[in-house]
Amino acid sequence: MIGNDIIDLDTARMESNWRRKGYLQKIFTESEQLLISGSVDPEIMVWCLWSMKEAAYKIYNRQTGIRSYMPLKLNCYDLEITDHGRRGKVSCEGAIYFTETTITKRYIHSSAVVYRNFFKQLILNIYDNNEEVGAQNPICRDEYGLPFTTDKKTLQRLPASISHHGRFFSHIAI
Amino acid sequence: MNNEHTFSKLKEIIKPFVKDQQAFDTLSPDTDFINDLKINSANLVDIILDIEEGFDIVIDNEEMERMLNVKAALEIIENKLSGKE
Repeated sequence: MIGNDIIDLDTARMESNWRRKGYLQKIFTESEQLLISGSVDPEIMVWCLWSMKEAAYKIYNRQTGIRSYMPLKLNCYDLEITDHGRRGKVSCEGAIYFTETTITKRYIHSSAVVYRNFFKQLILNIYDNNEEVGAQNPICRDEYGLPFTTDKKTLQRLPASISHHGRFFSHIAI
Repeated sequence: MNNEHTFSKLKEIIKPFVKDQQAFDTLSPDTDFINDLKINSANLVDIILDIEEGFDIVIDNEEMERMLNVKAALEIIENKLSGKE
């Protein structure tokens, strides 16, 4: 199982005031709040952690069928700096999800998987609104509304995850 | 405060975050904040904070988890308000 989430930083700046009183406390655990306050760029850390939670929640939601607004139950930890951003883990109700986050000036993208080695097979595509989307590997939805792509050679259905925010659209498949 | 008043006050709170105007025009208890109104999940916390300020109540984590549609929001608000009286 996989999940992903993209955040358009321009849109986030326009639409979300994370410095608002009470905001961080509602969605981040105490240890995550320490990561934010101790970061050289708190804004980037806010959206890095948020995209990790959202990507992990997409797996949790698929695994359990539970829909819930539960950011405090998605706990980000073990963050490491990588060439492109951060690697980390998100725990939720006893499950652990592994994440890879790409941080750029314009967007932040997180992928979450149930096994770390899934990252080797992961196909990630990020599109700007202006570019044509899905032309090479169209995303379909199955009878339960879950996204998938089809392998061109084997015609096998591959689980996919899509995300859209502001100018950006992303999808991942394995 | 009666139910109608709560509903219209909630509607005003939600309004700035709505991305699907048509769904907002036909707002009902069954309307889902994310699936129908296309509200960004990072803005759902703004709605929760605005509800807390607007109705002078505190929404705990368990209540926040259920805060996905108009019906749940109304139930949580009414419940808190009746507890205050």
